[in-house]
Amino acid sequence: MSKTKTHSISSPGLQRIGLVFAVTLLMAGCASVPPPSAQMAVAKVEVNNAMSAGGNEYAPVQLKAAMDELNEAEKAMAVKDYEQARAMAERAEVDAKLAAATARSVKAQKAAETVKADVRVLRNELDRKQQ
Amino acid sequence: MLKNRFFPLSLIAVAVLAGCSSMPNTHPTLATATSNYESARSNPQVTRLAPLELHDAGNAVSRAQAALAKGDNAATVDQLAYIAKQKVAIAEAVAKQKTAEQDVANIGAERNQARLQARTAEADAAQQTADRRAAELKTERAKSEAARTQLALSQREGDRKAAALTTAEAKAVQDQALIDQQDEQLKALHAKKTERGMVVTLGDVLFNTDKAKLSAGGIANVGKLADFMSKYPQRRVIIEGNTDSRGSERHNQALSERRADAVKNALIDMGIGSDRITARGLGESSPVATNDSAAGRQLNRRVEIIFPNGSTSANSAQ
Repeated sequence: MSKTKTHSISSPGLQRIGLVFAVTLLMAGCASVPPPSAQMAVAKVEVNNAMSAGGNEYAPVQLKAAMDELNEAEKAMAVKDYEQARAMAERAEVDAKLAAATARSVKAQKAAETVKADVRVLRNELDRKQQ
Repeated sequence: MLKNRFFPLSLIAVAVLAGCSSMPNTHPTLATATSNYESARSNPQVTRLAPLELHDAGNAVSRAQAALAKGDNAATVDQLAYIAKQKVAIAEAVAKQKTAEQDVANIGAERNQARLQARTAEADAAQQTADRRAAELKTERAKSEAARTQLALSQREGDRKAAALTTAEAKAVQDQALIDQQDEQLKALHAKKTERGMVVTLGDVLFNTDKAKLSAGGIANVGKLADFMSKYPQRRVIIEGNTDSRGSERHNQALSERRADAVKNALIDMGIGSDRITARGLGESSPVATNDSAAGRQLNRRVEIIFPNGSTSANSAQ
């Protein structure tokens, strides 16, 4: 913003030129932070993945964080705060991935426990039969 | 490798940060991420089972460290540090998941092994039971075969006995009929039933007085006896001569013997085997009436022809 004030010439024509220049610069500045549409899409996909991986049940804290962050990202997109939107979408993506990985890990561990118990029962039965 | 590459860098970053006394020389989130990353790297489970995720996390940590070192604004460093920390957590979660899955696979194999053992044991038991059953069945079959044979034998025996019984019954009926028939015929010869059997008495009138010669009537009577005896060849006879008490005992004895012999000879003449005939004289020892009257003495003078009981048989009728 201060760049527009660098010129001390006060003639209306020059001021006008300065304004145009400033607007151009502003727009250029805006163009350097484009809307993170791809990042938003990735974040949404990851949140969906986390939900279908059982995140609701097995990783509720991480999934909640991811959803909140996605929410924040969308809010930022609405007010065109693209930097904030990208940051939040990135966090939503990584938290959703963590939620999915945690859910899968918990499920796998539960399955392992079930199978272990199963084998224990089978072994006991076998031992009893062999006595 | 990552450590070697980035450790000096982080040292430089720390040194740079240390230079600016107003700034904290570490970033708390990044410190956590770095420390978590280091412990994940030293966990073989993670390095082995989640190498891609771990590599990704390492890159994220480096980026955050680089941003911190470069003096990027706090928000950027916060963002990168947060992402790095979460990526380390992802690597750890994936490693846990893979470990659990491997466990399932391993335990699955163990379970299959156990199941196999259980089935083998069951199959063995079933086989043993089946063998035992087969053996029992064999024994059972042999037993029932033996029982059947026994039954057949005893049935044959029973049949035989029944047949024998039938035959015996038939024979008994026949015998009875024969006995009745013989008795009937003996009755026709004026035989009398006594304890000794059927007795035919040839009276004195059938002999000439004091002689051992049969009269014509006597011969006719003996003829009837001979007919009977030839009809029933199993029957034997005892011929006993008797006299009254008149005359000497010796004379009477001799007379009775001669009269008995006369009857015997008559029978032999009529074709009856001598072995079937026993003749004896009893003299005056067996009177059947008084010797004090003429009528009594006449009764005493007699020849008795005895058909002993039981000297008949089923074949006698042939």
